[in-house]
Amino acid sequence: MPQQRTEANNVFLLIIVGILAWVVPGAGHYILKEKKRAIIIFITIVLTFVIGLYIGSIGVINPVNAKAWYLAQIMNSPVVAYLGHLTSTEPEKYRVFGRPNEIGQYYTSIAGLLNLLCVVNAVYMAHLRGTIQMPIKQSAKSKTGG
Amino acid sequence: MSPFVFLILANFVAPENIGTNVKSILWLLPLTVAITAVYKATKMPAITTASFIKEVLILSGSIIVFIIVIALTLFSLAWLITE
Repeated sequence: MPQQRTEANNVFLLIIVGILAWVVPGAGHYILKEKKRAIIIFITIVLTFVIGLYIGSIGVINPVNAKAWYLAQIMNSPVVAYLGHLTSTEPEKYRVFGRPNEIGQYYTSIAGLLNLLCVVNAVYMAHLRGTIQMPIKQSAKSKTGG
Repeated sequence: MSPFVFLILANFVAPENIGTNVKSILWLLPLTVAITAVYKATKMPAITTASFIKEVLILSGSIIVFIIVIALTLFSLAWLITE
């Protein structure tokens, strides 16, 4: 029973790490006490995303006419869904064409895919720590006869 | 909200003026550094400032050199076929 509880806690931790890493880039690593990684990931992904928005405006987030790009962009953070809502309700106001649109989409979408990589990495790190710690606990119990 | 905040936000509702020319592709070079930095942040077992900067510079440099080599190869191939 205690072991089941530990596994349940482990799954819960993985979900929390995954969600946090998606909501704020780098937050997944931060709660795993990987502060340097978290800071690098946060600065790089946010900067890449903001540069993309600066080049192409928020019009590059287009959930209606650029769904494939939007799928990659939403990996940045749920905030992208709000921006997508803004641009889809007033498409005339935020229309963008040509090279600025292309480059803006590249930046914002690649930032999203990089964050997806970081989410997977944070969840994997959390998983590894869970599986590494569990046998140590079990071996300690067997030594004490527990 | 202050006019300064409005000025900053205004930058994000109108696109930059970038022409459709060869130089505009240079905008993608900083993206190489961003990809490399995140990749190295997830892959390096221990991160120190000096080693991280060194690794990022080496990998982004390698990617850019590889892109240039591919571009030159394709350009030479196209030149040989068309001339």
